[in-house]
Amino acid sequence: MSGQYHRPHRWAWWTERPGYMRFMIRELTSVFMAGYLVVFVLTLAKVGAGEALAGATPGTIEDVLFGSPHPFAEWIAEMRSPGWMAAHAVALAAAVWHAVTFFGAVPQAMPIFLGEKRLPAPVAMIVMGYGPWLTVTAVILWWVLR
Amino acid sequence: MSNNGKMTLEIFRYHPETDAEPRYQSYEVPYNEDWVVLDAINWIKDHMDGSVTYRWSCRMGVCGSCGMMVNGEPKLTCAAFLKDYYPGAVRVDPLVNFPVERDLLISMDGFMEKLEAVKPYIIRDDVNDTSEGEYRQSPAELARYKQFSMCINCMLCYSACPVVGHEEEFLGPAALALGHRYNKDSRDQGQSERMEVMLSNEAMWGCTFVGECSVVCPKHVDPAGAIQQAKAAGAQEYFKSFVMPRSS
Repeated sequence: MSGQYHRPHRWAWWTERPGYMRFMIRELTSVFMAGYLVVFVLTLAKVGAGEALAGATPGTIEDVLFGSPHPFAEWIAEMRSPGWMAAHAVALAAAVWHAVTFFGAVPQAMPIFLGEKRLPAPVAMIVMGYGPWLTVTAVILWWVLR
Repeated sequence: MSNNGKMTLEIFRYHPETDAEPRYQSYEVPYNEDWVVLDAINWIKDHMDGSVTYRWSCRMGVCGSCGMMVNGEPKLTCAAFLKDYYPGAVRVDPLVNFPVERDLLISMDGFMEKLEAVKPYIIRDDVNDTSEGEYRQSPAELARYKQFSMCINCMLCYSACPVVGHEEEFLGPAALALGHRYNKDSRDQGQSERMEVMLSNEAMWGCTFVGECSVVCPKHVDPAGAIQQAKAAGAQEYFKSFVMPRSS
């Protein structure tokens, strides 16, 4: 029908509701996480370079990783500079926020029913989110620190 | 309970036969503590300006007709109390993300087409004779979809969804939740038929899970949850089509 009024598109729509802003912040966290993954891949590349230098029969893993002068040791020293530490802290905060909001959404996206009753959201978050997260973290910590 | 105060309502006005652009018109209405915004608009229509155009019906949050933007927030005006805004002014706009027909009246045509597209009815391969009795359903089976069947088609979720405003193909929260409601119904056999519509292009995948549809829903339907569940079911359906290509 003619004569209808169509409101203009709002390019700044994401400023209109706090929920939109939270959504945009959550989406932005993935940029920091992608950045961290690039750094992580570069780190792995340095480990590879270390193996090549150490020859076909490397000694202990510490020799390979920290024998000096060594691409990996230099890389790690670089990563300990304040700028890189700050960048990692931001990436960690982004990853934690992403994880927390993800676990918050899990009960909505994956409801668990026990007969007629739906598992309450906080329980579902623990069963499907925080529980496995903490378990995996504990296993990795145990493996690294043992 | 009332006091002698007044309250200002700024109402979005647009009459296509005379207005090239919309404008706002202010009305001073009596402030009444137990009035809702819809009462104030009705008072304007009855006592000040009979030309104000809007939809309403039940006045008790069931019919879903009186959805409008109240100070920028999609609300059922029959459930938005003046006392929550007093003594400030209340600005009333038609629901956003819809074409405006006149004043606070939006066009529902696109919405109705989207609702229809998800085939919101039980589809059966076999239809039993009524003499065989009803299709039985356990309370546990009912629980799987009951929440999604509470929708009153008020369209507040379409106004809260930024994707609806930017992606024409997106079916929108209410329609997708309704499609999911029938997919989850144990009596239904039409999931693959419905999924053909829901899985096409941006129809469902346009949803980025902003989640505000569920925040504004007056019936706690949680369309955002329904859509994420439908996406998971859709992904399963998609992979199944590789493993078990449809026979016949």
